[in-house]
Amino acid sequence: MTTALSRQRSPARTEAGPFNAPLPVPALTIRRLLSRVRKPGRYSGGEWNSVRKDWSETALKWCFTYPDLYEIGMSNLGLRILYEVLNERPNCLAERCFAPDVDLQAELRSAKVPLWSLETRRSLHDFDVLGLSLGYELVATNVLDMLDLAGIGLTTGERSEADPLVIAGGSIVLNPEPFADLTDAVVLGEGEDVVLEISEVLQSLGWHRRVCGRDGQSRRGVDRATTLRALARIPGVYVPSLYEPRYEADGTFAALDRLDEAAPPSVAGRIAADFETRVRGIRQIVPNIGIVFDRAQLEVMRGCTRGCRFCQAGMQSRPLRERAPEVAVAAAEAILRATGYEEVGLTSLSTADYTFVQEVASALHRRNPEVVISLPSTRVDAFTVELVDAIAPGGRRSGFTFAPEAGSQRLRDTINKGVSDEEIVRCAELAFSRGWSAVKLYFMIGLPGETAEDVLAIAGICRRVLEIGRRRHGGRAQVKANVSTFVPKPNTPFQWDGQDATDEIETKVSQLRKAFHGKGLVLSWHDPRSSLLEAALGRGDRRLTPVIVRAWRNGARLDAWDEHFKFDAWIQAFDEEGLDPAWYAQRDIPTGEHLPWEHLGAGVSGDFLLRDRRLALAGRTTADCHWGPCSNCGAPAVTGFDCDTGDQGPRRMLISGGGGTVGDEGGTGPSSRRWRYLGPPGDARRSDVAAAASIGAAAYCAGDNVNLDRAPRRGRSHDMLGTQMQSKDAGTNGLASPVEAAGGENSG
Amino acid sequence: MSEAVQRWRIVFARNEEARYLAHLDAVTQWERAFRRGAIPVATTGGFNARPKLVFAAPLQLGMLAEHELADLFLAERLTAPALRERLTAGMPAGYRVIDLHDVWIGAPALAPQLVAADYRMTLLGVEREDLASAATRILSAERLPRERRRETKTVAYDLRPLIIELRVRDADAGTLAADGAPAEAAELWMRLRHSQERGSGRADEVVAALADELGMTTASETPGATETPSATETPGVDRPRIESAVSVRERLWLEEELTQHGERDQAPSSPEQTAG
Ligand code: SF4
Repeated sequence: MTTALSRQRSPARTEAGPFNAPLPVPALTIRRLLSRVRKPGRYSGGEWNSVRKDWSETALKWCFTYPDLYEIGMSNLGLRILYEVLNERPNCLAERCFAPDVDLQAELRSAKVPLWSLETRRSLHDFDVLGLSLGYELVATNVLDMLDLAGIGLTTGERSEADPLVIAGGSIVLNPEPFADLTDAVVLGEGEDVVLEISEVLQSLGWHRRVCGRDGQSRRGVDRATTLRALARIPGVYVPSLYEPRYEADGTFAALDRLDEAAPPSVAGRIAADFETRVRGIRQIVPNIGIVFDRAQLEVMRGCTRGCRFCQAGMQSRPLRERAPEVAVAAAEAILRATGYEEVGLTSLSTADYTFVQEVASALHRRNPEVVISLPSTRVDAFTVELVDAIAPGGRRSGFTFAPEAGSQRLRDTINKGVSDEEIVRCAELAFSRGWSAVKLYFMIGLPGETAEDVLAIAGICRRVLEIGRRRHGGRAQVKANVSTFVPKPNTPFQWDGQDATDEIETKVSQLRKAFHGKGLVLSWHDPRSSLLEAALGRGDRRLTPVIVRAWRNGARLDAWDEHFKFDAWIQAFDEEGLDPAWYAQRDIPTGEHLPWEHLGAGVSGDFLLRDRRLALAGRTTADCHWGPCSNCGAPAVTGFDCDTGDQGPRRMLISGGGGTVGDEGGTGPSSRRWRYLGPPGDARRSDVAAAASIGAAAYCAGDNVNLDRAPRRGRSHDMLGTQMQSKDAGTNGLASPVEAAGGENSG
Repeated sequence: MSEAVQRWRIVFARNEEARYLAHLDAVTQWERAFRRGAIPVATTGGFNARPKLVFAAPLQLGMLAEHELADLFLAERLTAPALRERLTAGMPAGYRVIDLHDVWIGAPALAPQLVAADYRMTLLGVEREDLASAATRILSAERLPRERRRETKTVAYDLRPLIIELRVRDADAGTLAADGAPAEAAELWMRLRHSQERGSGRADEVVAALADELGMTTASETPGATETPSATETPGVDRPRIESAVSVRERLWLEEELTQHGERDQAPSSPEQTAG
């Protein structure tokens, strides 16, 4: 099927029956409003591969509600995937809506026009389900804005039967408690399968609107309460209103009581079946205006085995699953064809760790010499530099990004980012020698166990790197250090550790600034006050929902954007509720204390988190289980996935999916799949294994010891990692986090 | 670099769905459309190779169009039906190919041949009679001094010689059937000079000049244009607003075409007489 055809395909008739589709917002009204705002292309839709279905012929209407600006939301791969998954179903439709910028917000309010969906320009209120994407704590007030602009009840208690269900998902919902009263249901883990299960339940109950009887009015066939109880029975779906928290006299969390027998005592996150062999999200929407990640995206791997102890995405996305190389190459090419993009990002939490990264990148490069390939990597090693060098276009090169995260090796061992100073220096030397004249280094301050020396060590390592750059590039050499504040995240070994007080962070930053003078050294840092809020909301409980509502009423919105961030509005809101953000963010929580999110899990087990924390305190690292040994993180028990890792050998990886599997309903039978022990790329032990293995991608690849074609390349140069991405949480996939963004991404 | 062997002049229209593309975004989208349609586009040489595609005149964000021109250079020959099919397969929503002309590859560049452009705007908040009398006054003026903001600098220029013709008609009732729109409306048609050598007139500038003439202000539908202050605007004074609900570039004129039509530099007729 060609893309052009699929965009116009009309859904099969369903049992939806006669239905008075609500009217769209009139075109002239929209034109007049958009004539007064910046970047009207954010709100006008009509993009290539966007899908507009007939409302009278489609039963269940979803609208993906992304609580950040278009440029951020459209970069999210999770959205691109779920949009396709739902729109492929004849009895569902999915549209999109992003947070309006302040200018349009004001225009909508004064003209009393509801916030509309991009596809058919109907009010969000007219949909059956809003799929709310929560990727970052500071989008909280944008959620309220969007609901309010569509006239939807802000909290679950205020919603009428006519209001849509608000179902949240995304990387921060492992602790959805601060948002509990805003969300009717929460999907934990990966959404591909669950959204379809939810749709089926909603349709069989009759949640969608239909014309009833004599009066000709359309209404829902079932009430909200019944619907929510039914949703609570779907694995991976958490319905907050079926539980009620209790607190101790000292304000700490005591327990969560179940209010209904439909509510399970605990909910575990889902992982998508068939990730390795089946690719969804091929017909990705191509925006008409520039966005943060304006390129085709193929997720080559899900999960991460590095085990960085501060990283929520890494911990909750296990087990590691990788796409067979032939599947990855075919899918990347299919996405490029369907979109016309000139660039493809091979995404994951750390793509240099993808077993077949060389094979896939070199095959794509050879077969599509005009296409730019980019990839994120959290590895700080020579392999990453060689890899990026091989796929990057020659000539101009913007900064090469590494994320050592901490200044001293001692502290890097504590956070399980086991890389030595020498390795960092060697990496930088290699990058400088391959033509990069600037190196960007990402660090965190305020990490557990950090001393004053650790902070100053950041400046020390940057100076060493700059000296090396000078030798090769003279005065042109540059080292840019980006320093963010450590934020303790639920479901990580550091979830119990308090964040540094804001003034401590400020002192550390000013010490660093003193140590960072001189030509070629650039230091940038984040507002520690937004990190404080991020930590408070991240580790919060249900008492924070009223705080969010108050902050919004006090004028807080688009808090992730420096120019809009109103810290005072938040402090006032905490005050008015008699709460203290520092108590939530900066307190060291005793490990015996109950946690507001302990009934929810994904990825690793709670037991592993405790064990790993003890190792951190002892300054010991945990091995990367890509090669074994397994550290018994508990992911198989939580997710039902079998890791198959030997005591010393590598994990067994799918090396051939059997062909014909891209976005194809049928997929391949398990019988045609082939598995091998292979291990991660760039490891000395790999060559023996790889030589022994005849990789399924042979048809695409020159050989197992890949020598990437270094023919001169043409193409535009791209600065992959704008600083906006760091603080604005431009999640690249369903499990993105600002930490992942800090890992950086490299290309030409 | 791939050598061009064929040059196609694409005549195209742009409707509502693509109206908010700025010129550079439109170029990017067209390049992606060529890749989607597997069109063998020739590329420019040099390190940053780009597809050889030349638009006659950038189309402002917010402006619809009925007869735009672009030259596309191919590295392999295609027949007109084949090219049309491949363009249609990949074109972003809102763009429509009207015609394709196989142009001699050595023909002069497109942009310098432009002499004029026709525009049609539906204006809200202004009576037809008022607009017509303002148009007559402007046409009979010797000079029409205005200012144009270029980045930080403000450049003074004379708008009058850039206006070839103005006509005022009744607005099309169909556009106005929406709630909240002001009842007074009129349609303004204009032919403006569009020349690389002798300067080009901007449609929104003409509307701003008319608004000034009537003691009104403009709320242009193109946000970029609202940044151009009208010459006599006094900050803080809340003057009645002319809003443009639809603005269309009807046609770009090449020198030879306009000469054939015998309308070149025709003396402007009275706007009321030619109305309707
Ligand atoms: S169970 Fe073992 S092999 Fe599987 S992800 Fe956890 S540590 Fe790694």
